[in-house]
Formats: sequence, C-alpha cells, structure tokens
Amino acid sequence: MVLDLLANGLIYSSIIVLGSIGLSLVYSIAGFANFAHGDTMTVGAYSALVTFGAVGGLGGAILGLPFGFFVALAVGIAMAAVVAVVTEKVVYEGLDVGSIGLLITSIGIAFVYRAVIQMGFSSDFTRYDIQALRPIEALLPYGIRVTEHDVAIFVSAVVLVTGLHVLLQYTDLGRKMRAMADNPDLARVSGIRTDRVKLWTWVIGAGLAGAGGVFLGLYGRLAPRMGFDLLLVIFAAVILGGIGSVYGAMLGGVLIGMINQLTPLLSGVGALLPIVPDGWGIGLEYANALAFLIMVVVLLFRPNGIAGDGEGT
Amino acid sequence: MTEPQPDSESESAGDPTSAATAGAATQTASPASPRSGADRSKEDVVLEAHDLVKAFGALVATDHASFQVERGTITGLIGPNGAGKSTLFNLVSGFYEPDSGHVEVNGTDVTDLEPYEIADHGLIRTFQTPRKLEGMTVREAMLVGPQRQPGESFVKLFTAPDEVREHEARNLADVERILGEFEIDHLATQPATKISGGQMKLVELARAMLAEPDILLLDEPAAGVNPTLRKKLAEQIRRLHDQGTTFLLIEHDMEFVMSLADPVIVLDRGSVLMEGTPDEVQTDDRVIDAYLGG
Amino acid sequence: MSLVSDPKGYWADLTRPEQGVLAFVLGFALLLLLGLLTGGIGPSYFLFLVGLAGMYSLLSFGLNVQWGYSGLINFSVAAFFGIGAYGTALASASSSPLAGGIPPVVGLFVALVLAGVLALLIGIPTLRLRADYLAIASIGLAEVVRIIILNEGWLTNGSAGVRGIPGFFEGWPVLETFPETMPGVIITALPGPTIVLGTNFWQALLNVALVLTLVGICYLVLRRVHRSPWGRVLRTIRSDEDAARALGKNTYSYKMQAFVLGSLIMALAGVFYAHLNLYVGPGDLNPITTFYVWVAVILGGSGSNRGALFGGFVIVAIQQGTRFLNEFGWIPVDVAPLRLLLIGVIIVLLMRFRPQGVLPPQRELIWRGVVDDAPSQPERGVRGSKAGESDD
Repeated sequence: MVLDLLANGLIYSSIIVLGSIGLSLVYSIAGFANFAHGDTMTVGAYSALVTFGAVGGLGGAILGLPFGFFVALAVGIAMAAVVAVVTEKVVYEGLDVGSIGLLITSIGIAFVYRAVIQMGFSSDFTRYDIQALRPIEALLPYGIRVTEHDVAIFVSAVVLVTGLHVLLQYTDLGRKMRAMADNPDLARVSGIRTDRVKLWTWVIGAGLAGAGGVFLGLYGRLAPRMGFDLLLVIFAAVILGGIGSVYGAMLGGVLIGMINQLTPLLSGVGALLPIVPDGWGIGLEYANALAFLIMVVVLLFRPNGIAGDGEGT
Repeated sequence: MTEPQPDSESESAGDPTSAATAGAATQTASPASPRSGADRSKEDVVLEAHDLVKAFGALVATDHASFQVERGTITGLIGPNGAGKSTLFNLVSGFYEPDSGHVEVNGTDVTDLEPYEIADHGLIRTFQTPRKLEGMTVREAMLVGPQRQPGESFVKLFTAPDEVREHEARNLADVERILGEFEIDHLATQPATKISGGQMKLVELARAMLAEPDILLLDEPAAGVNPTLRKKLAEQIRRLHDQGTTFLLIEHDMEFVMSLADPVIVLDRGSVLMEGTPDEVQTDDRVIDAYLGG
Repeated sequence: MSLVSDPKGYWADLTRPEQGVLAFVLGFALLLLLGLLTGGIGPSYFLFLVGLAGMYSLLSFGLNVQWGYSGLINFSVAAFFGIGAYGTALASASSSPLAGGIPPVVGLFVALVLAGVLALLIGIPTLRLRADYLAIASIGLAEVVRIIILNEGWLTNGSAGVRGIPGFFEGWPVLETFPETMPGVIITALPGPTIVLGTNFWQALLNVALVLTLVGICYLVLRRVHRSPWGRVLRTIRSDEDAARALGKNTYSYKMQAFVLGSLIMALAGVFYAHLNLYVGPGDLNPITTFYVWVAVILGGSGSNRGALFGGFVIVAIQQGTRFLNEFGWIPVDVAPLRLLLIGVIIVLLMRFRPQGVLPPQRELIWRGVVDDAPSQPERGVRGSKAGESDD
C-alpha cells in the first residue's frame, strides 16, 4: 500500500511541480505573488480540451495517449503562455502599484480567466475524450496501481523540468533569468534587457502551468475551479521549497505532492499517539489542510524555506 | 568601565577583546599614528556597543565592532561602501539581532530588545530612505512622534476621552511649535506625499525629536537632499545639539559630517578602524587607504 | 455646517468625491423609492436588500480596519463570517449537535469569543510576516477552518449544516411576536398593484432595524478609533512600519488589535446572517465572499469607514443587478460566471485607474475637538495619488 501511495505521490507531484516552478519564476522575476497562476493552469487544460475535441486521435498512441492528445498538450501550453503574455502587456506592465497592488490585481485576473472559461463550458465536471485505462499489469503484484497515462504524466513532467534545467543552466536566457532572480537592480545596470527576460519568464512559467493543467485534467477531471483549487497547494510547495529558488520550488512540489498522497497513512495515527483515542486519524479530506498547515509552520519558523534566498521577513 | 587614561585614544588595559580586534589586523603599521579602534574610555556614555558580530551566511557584515557615544556630542560614523554602517545601526537599534556582543543604552543592556523597547530607553533612529506616508498631512505624521500617548490605548479612547483630547491638543501644539523652529510650519497641513525629499528629512528629524530621545541616530540624513536644504538640516542638527541632544550620524557626504561631528568613528569592513577629530580622521593614512583600497 | 440648518454651505464644504457619492446615493435612493411606489419592487424584497447591504457593510468595516487602516492583507474574511454564523447557530439552533436553545443574544457573545480566539490563532503566526506571506497564509488558514467545519460532523453537522436557528429576537417581550401582532397594512392609494404589508414585511423591517443598529454602533465606534492616536499608529504601520517601530510603537501588538477588532466585526455580520437566514452551512464559508468584501473595501475607499459603507451597498447592487440582467434574458449566460467576471474586471480597473477607491479618507484624522473639520485640500482630499504599499 505504501508503494502505491508513493507512486501516486510521484504522479501528483509531477503536476504540482509544473505549477510551482512557474509560480516561483514569476515571483522571483516579475516580483509578485501571482494569484492567477492556478487559473492559468485551467486555461491550459481547457485549451487542450477544445483542441483534442477538434483534432481527434490522429491515429497512433504513446502510453495510451493518442498523438492528438500531445498536439492538444502543445496547444494548451501555448495558449496559457499567450494569455499570460497578453495579461502582462495589457494589465500588469502599466500598473504602478507595487507588489501588493499587483497581487490584488492578479486576483481580479484570476476571476476573469475563470469566469470566461465557465461561461464557455459550464461549471460541471468534464473529461478528455480518452478511454480510461486499467492499471499496468506488471506493477500490480507490488501493490502499485498506476496506469500508462500516469506514467505519461510523470515522464512528460520530467522532460519539461529537465528542459527547464538545461535552459536555466546552459543558455543565455537562462543565465539572464537567474541573474534577474538573484539581484534585479544589478541585472538591470549590467545591461540585461529586463523587460525581455520578464516576458520570456511569463512564457515559460505560464507554459509549464498550462502543461500542469492539462495533466491535472488527465489525472482527475476538468472543472473551471480546478486551477484555483490547486493554487494554495502550489503556494505551499513554493513556500516550503523557498521563494526565490526554482529548484526549491521543484523540491517543494515533490514534497507537498508526496505528503498529500501519503495522507491516508495518517488515518491510523491515533493508535500511535499516547493520549489521542485510537480511532482518531487524519482523513483524506484533510490532505490539503495538511499542506496549508505545513506552509504556515514553514512561514513561522523558516520563512526562507528549504532553499530560499533570505528574504524572509 | 575603566579608569581614564591620560592618552584619550588608548583602550582599557583590562579589556581582552579590544587589542585583538578593531582593526589591529587591518592596520598598516605606522609607528607615529594613534592606537586603532574606538575610544572606549569616555565618561557619561549614552550608547555603547561591545564587540558586535553579525554575519549573513558567509558575509561577515559586522566584525567585532565596539564603540561608545558620549552624551552631548555629535558623533560621526563614516566608512567606505560596504563597511557595515547601516548594519551597525540596525544592530544597535534592535532591527537586527547580533550573533554575539552586546549593546547598552544609558547603561542598560538592550541587546535582545525589540526596536520599540530600545526607543523606550531613549534611542531613536531614522532611516536612510523613508517610505511615503500616504493619507496624512505633515502634522498628522508628526503626531506619531510623541511617546506614551494615552490615545494610543484602544481602551482609553472610550474610558478617558477627555484625557485623550487634552494630550492630543498638547501634542499638536508641540508639533506646530517644532515645525516653527524648523521653519517649515507652512508645510503643516500639506499632504505628506507632496513635500520634497529634503523637506521630508526635516520632518523626520522633527518627528524624531518629539519622541524626546536621549540619543538620536541619523542614517544618512543628507542623502539626496539639495544643498540649500542640506545646510538647513545641518543648522537644525547643530541647534538641537546645542539644546542638549546627542547624535550619532552616518553620512557619506564628508563635508556634512566633518562640519558637524566631533568625534568621528571610522568603520571599515565591519570593525572600527579608528576614532578621532575630523582633522585627525581626514589625514590618517589608514582611513585614506580604506577608502581608496575598497 | 449642519445639513439641516445650512444645506448649501454643507454641500460646499464637501470634497468632490464626497459630493459625487452623495449625489449617487441620493439618485439611487430616489430610483428605489420610485420602484417601491410603482410596485416594481416589493417592499419585503427591498428591505431584504437593505439588510444584505447592511451585512456587507459590516464585513467591509471589519476588513477596512485590517486592510484600510493597517495594511493587513487578510484573505480569511469568509472564515470569520462563518465562525460568527456558526458560533451563534451552534449555541441557539434546535439542530445543533453541541448545544441549542440558548438565547441568540448569548449566541452573539459566543460567536464573538470564538472569532476572537480564531483571530488570535490566525494572527499570531501570520502578523509577523510580510504582507504577501500574510495573504497566502490567511487564505490557507481560512481553508483549514472551512475544511474542519465541513468534515467534523460531530462538531458542526458537517455538510448538512445547522437548521432551526431562531430569529434574533426570540424570547424578547415585544419584538419576538412583533411581525405577527402588527396589523397587515394595505396600501391602495398608489399607482401600480396594491401593496400589502403583512407579517413578512414586519419581519423584514425588524431584521433591517437590527442590522442598521449594528452598522450604526460599529460606525460610531470606528469613527472614534480612526481619528485617534491609536488609529494613527495603524496608518503609520501601513505606510512605514519600521518608522513606527523606531519611534517606540509595538507594531505587532497594534496589528493584532486591529486584526482582532476587524474579525469581531466580521463575525457580527455572520451572527446577523445566521438569524436572518435561519440556516448555516459550510457553503457559507465560500472564499468568494472574501473577495466580494475586498472589492467593497477597495472600491469604497481603503481606509475610509464611509467608503466601506458605500462599498457594501455597491456590492449588493452588483449582485442583484447581475441577477436582474439574467432574469431579463439580455445576456445568455449564467449569473454566477457573469458576476465573477464583473468582480474581476472591477478589481483590475480599480487598481489601474483609482486604487485608492471612490471615497478614501477626505480629511485629517485628528481627535475631535482639537482642530476644526475643514478639509485641508478641498479638491483632492488628503489622500495621495495612490494606495497600496510601495515595493519593499
């Protein structure tokens, strides 16, 4: 059972990591907490839904996912990036209200994204038109129930994250992004075109979020609220890993994802603790609450998180 | 702390820390120059820092810094960029917690206290870059200065409104008086966001005075201020000093500091390099090296 | 200048935004009156709207103390509203798993105590954090509260909610039966259909009287504390907390006081809601409420009590207005997303064009009787050009 939970933890973590990296990038480089990030994921998911509906399977499949799905994934990523860039250009760029003002504005933007999607698609749940798969036979003896779709999610996330790592470490853009994240003023005076870098950050951050949204829809279901519901968990991941550190955000995403999925293990915790009655336990319903409490604890005792950059209080 | 030595620049013989620290390692040997480090033999010390250390990760911002500020002086604190002047201010006023060492105000150890508690003991400080005070006129902003106002207690607003009104009226009169002394009373009902940076510095100084400090720490008061206002600022500091306020002043503008302060403490790389009169400091080889070497 | 003795002088003394708001409110009131007289709006429904506006005004007052005065970004408004509602419900309702049958006035007290405790629990960890962390932490903790209420059935009846909440005046000598004992009044003298003022109407009137009393009390209390040295310290904390600390103010304590005060007022709104709706459920802690109140406060004018009041009314107007549009089939979409869109757009437009809101504080806030009340800047008011914190 533990192995199963761990495996599912990895899958769920993949989705969270795709969200938390983007959020952390925008936080470091655009300089504010983007509350519209969750709904950006939703944009990606629904764009993929529409595309897949239009394009269909396109014959052939990888890991149980039709080629058409990967096309839809690409469109989802692209749409999320486009929407984010447009928002930056039309809304955020012109604002002169400081990081708190931008935070508040991003909440308005989040509502706009969600409202538009809800008006187009109704607030009911929906799914991609892909046949659900049965768990992989080879892993069943170990008690692990994952489908090929889950594996695809994990693999795709690994590919995207690796791609990001390569970008950050080995390309010019990545170097500039890291410079801006570390010390924006120094970056500006040393000739880096900060507005260009910021724009690319939005593209990458939102694109990753879009991918996360598509996979979230595949892993679970689609609903206009899906992104916003996940946003807090993603914030918890970013804070745990350390604001200002992309690699911290990755680590935080993995940890939060794992903790979230491993919560059922705590349902019997009452038996272990001395005073608490045996039947008491932390049920699955509290999985998210657990993430939020961890986040608050981190903010209290180690606001820099695990890998953060010293901007605690 | 020690018996006064005939040579005012020497340190106490019994203090083990001073010899090994405070610039001994960094000085270029010059047999005729005074001993390095701060003067630790003053009488009537209002502020004292003992062997303060503060590190941020690998960077040691404050490296065993010790100094005293004598009551009734305008003491200057200068040093090249990165010497750790602002860090020292933050340590002494409670905004940073030192890794080791301690701070005394009027003889009381205030090392672990919060800034507001240290203010209570008589140490008030200003900031290099004051933030904009929105939604207030200048006199409203100044009314925050006086300490221990009964109206600051939520309960008293309902149980003792007359007392609140009395104090508020009295404080407002003080505000208007001090604005007059600073010759900026015409700004009293202006929105605080509408006055110039230099005027804001004057307001800050005036507001700090309303807190009736024993010692006032000014963090680069002349930074970004035009020459006319800078002169006015210097005049005001001098005037307040004549009336009895002690000052500790960080400044980059050498002219400003040297015209006002005596003694002047020189900080370099987190510790006190030397202390002396403006002339002594300006002609000291080590100080010149520190500024040029960087 | 008193409004009654010298209306012209009174008008001239107001600042532009004040004049604008007053004109708007009067115009709107006239419109509503017209609707009432012609039978377009039922009297009970009208009173219901007023009651709702009063409730949102209370919530706005509370958030205004936290964000408007002190700059605290509190995204847990819904949680305090919910605690207030649940507190009194669990005390007084017949279906309460914990108690039940306790007079609503005691329920009010219970709700306030619970809100105070929750405020301490949320405030202690979060008020030392910088502003954006406070935002994130408060929304997280609000969710934790909602999840607990949803799942701990033994405590709160879980998703079933708490029914059978008595009206607020239950057990009071005259007022309890006021709606029934008042005679029905029939008005035929006006154009439009006959207006019948029956039990529903008198019940609604009673509720409105209650909320307006609460609003009135809070407004008077807040007006006093806003103009005080206490209020001034909070406003300094909002702009430049370090300066306040350096001047000897224990800013953590002040922030906590503001946070608790604001939370108590929000809980008051919840108490009113519980005794109005006679049922509370976990859905009442929907985070969207938090953002409605945020819009009310920002729109009305961060930091201004009258602005908060105005904002509360505007929110209800938006909510009802969107429902209206839907009923008339003008816009072929559902009400809920339309409302969401409108709220989102309003937030963005506000932050872009008028972040300080419609009616920010217009005058100096110095204790009453110490200076005369003329505005120092008749055209602009004291408020600077933008609200919101500067970058740290």
